[in-house]
Amino acid sequence: MNDSLPVLTLDQVSRQLSGRTIVEGLDFRIRRGEVLGLLGINGAGKSTTLRMMSGLLAPSSGTVRLGELDLYAHPEQAQRDIGYLAEDPPLYGELSVEEYLRFCARLHDLRGPAVGTAVERAIERCELGDMRRRLTGLLSKGFRQRVGLAQAIVHEPALIVLDEPASGLDPIQALRLRELIRNLADSHAVVLSTHVLSDVLACCDRVAILHHGRLRHSAILSELDASAAVLVRVERALTRDDWMKLAIVADAEPANAGRWRIRLQEGAHSGALANAIGEQGFGLQELRGDNNALEQVFVSIAAEGKHTGAAA
Amino acid sequence: MKSIGLIAANDLRRQFFQPFAWILLALTSALLAWQFLIAFDAYLRIAPKLDAVANSQGATDLIAVPLLRALSGMLMLIVPLATMHTLAGERRANTLPLLQAAGVRSFDIVTGKFLGALALVTLIIAMAMLMPLSLQLGTHLDLGRLAAVAFGLFLFAMSLSAIGVLCSAWTAHPVLAATAALIIGSLLAMLDMGARFQGIDNALINWLSMSTHLEPFFLGLVASIDIVYFLLVTVLALLFAARRLDSLRTRG
Repeated sequence: MNDSLPVLTLDQVSRQLSGRTIVEGLDFRIRRGEVLGLLGINGAGKSTTLRMMSGLLAPSSGTVRLGELDLYAHPEQAQRDIGYLAEDPPLYGELSVEEYLRFCARLHDLRGPAVGTAVERAIERCELGDMRRRLTGLLSKGFRQRVGLAQAIVHEPALIVLDEPASGLDPIQALRLRELIRNLADSHAVVLSTHVLSDVLACCDRVAILHHGRLRHSAILSELDASAAVLVRVERALTRDDWMKLAIVADAEPANAGRWRIRLQEGAHSGALANAIGEQGFGLQELRGDNNALEQVFVSIAAEGKHTGAAA
Repeated sequence: MKSIGLIAANDLRRQFFQPFAWILLALTSALLAWQFLIAFDAYLRIAPKLDAVANSQGATDLIAVPLLRALSGMLMLIVPLATMHTLAGERRANTLPLLQAAGVRSFDIVTGKFLGALALVTLIIAMAMLMPLSLQLGTHLDLGRLAAVAFGLFLFAMSLSAIGVLCSAWTAHPVLAATAALIIGSLLAMLDMGARFQGIDNALINWLSMSTHLEPFFLGLVASIDIVYFLLVTVLALLFAARRLDSLRTRG
C-alpha cells in the first residue's frame, strides 16, 4: 500500500437501518502509525462505523476506501488488508489457540511456511505462548480477547479495527492490552472504539467523538492537552466575575479542593495567566494543567443526549 | 476457491470435536444395524424356499435395497440436524464476521459450509452401505444396482443439505433452521404423494417431487434428468443462501 495515501478514508459515510439513521456524514482519514480512538456512549454508532470500516456492513451512502481501493467495490481484495476484532471475539471453542490461528491465517490467503511464521509471530506478540494448546472455548475473558486480537493481526493487515477491545478485562489485562495496541501502531493503522476515556488517553493519537451517529469532535490528543483548561488555587476568595475580569480568561468554574478550573482565551498560555494573577494580587498558590480536557468535552457532548434522546 | 475447501475442512473437523456428530453416526448406525439384522434373519429363514422359485428375488432386493430405502427416510431427519449449525450456529456464536471480514465471498462461505455438512452425511451413507456390502462375503449382490442406489442417496442428501444450509442462513436459531429444513425437505419429498391423496395427478407436481427422482435409483436406473433435478435444487438453494448472506451485509 502506498504510504503517502491514508490507509483508510471515509467520505461522507451514512448508514440507515430499518429507516433510522444510525450514522451520518462521517469523514475520516487514518494513516499508518496512527491510533484513532472512536469514543462515544453506548448507541452512539461506534460499532456500526467499525463494521462499515471493516467491510461487514455496506454504507447507505458515501464511500469507504482502503488505500486506493473502494472497500465495497472490491471487498475480497480490500478486506485481505483489514484485521477486525468484534466486541465478542469470534472464536471456535472446539479449536486450540494454535489451530484457530492457523485457520485464520489460511483464511487470509497465507500458505505453506508463511502460516507457521505468522501464527508464531501473533502468538508471541499477544503473549499466548502458554495457551497455544488450550481450547479457545475454555479461555478466560482476557485470553479470549488476546486470541481475538491475534486473529486480527495474524496476516499483518494495514488496518486493524478493534471494537471495544478492553471490554470486560481486569485493570492489569487492560493495561497489557493497551501496551500491545500501542506497539501495533508502529507498523499498522489502528482504529478502536471504546467508551472508556482512559483507553483513549493511554493508547490513541487521535480521538473522534461520535454522538447520535454524527462526528461531534475530532482532535489530536497532544493538541487537546495543550488547549486544556488549567487548575488554579489562590489565597483570596474569588467569584467567577473576578476571574472573568481578566482578559485572557474565557471561562471559570469552581473545581475541587478550593481550586478554580480556568479556560483560557484561544492563543493564551498559562504563563500569561500567572502574570495576570500576580498583577491582580490574587495570591497564586498553585497552577497546573487540567488533564480532564477530553473528559469535559466528552461529558458535555454526551450530556446533550439526555435532552434530545439517543439515536441508536 | 481455496476458502471453500478451508471452510469445509474446518467445519468437518469441528463437528468431530463435538459429541453431536458421533451421536448422529452412532444412532444412525445402530438403527440401520437393527433393521439390517431383522431383514437378514428373515432372509435366512426364507432363503431355502427361494431356491426353489425361478427368478426369485435375492439379497439385494430383500435386504440391501429396503435397508437403503429406510436410510433415505432417515436422511430427511439427519440432514437438517447436520446442517442446522452451519450458518445459524455461526451467527449465533458471532463467528460469521470472522469469515466475512476475511474477504471470503458469500457464495464461497455457503459452499464451504455445505460441503462440510455434506461430508458428514456422506460418511453416514458410506457406513450404511458397508452393511449390505458385507453380504457379498456370502452371496452375490447386484453391485451395479447398489452403486446406483448409493449415488441416488448421495444426490438426495446433497439437495437436502443445500436446503438445510439455506434454512440455516435465514435464522440465527439452529433449531428453527432444522425445523424449517425438515418441513421443506418433507414437502418436496412427499409432494406427489400428497397430491395423489387429493386425487390430483399432475405432471409438474410429480416432477417437482424428490421421490419421483429418487425412486429410479432404487431400481438401478440412473437418468440424467434425475441428476439434473438434484443439482438444480442444490444450486438454487445455495444461491439463495449466498444472497441471504449478502443481504446481511447490505441490510444489516
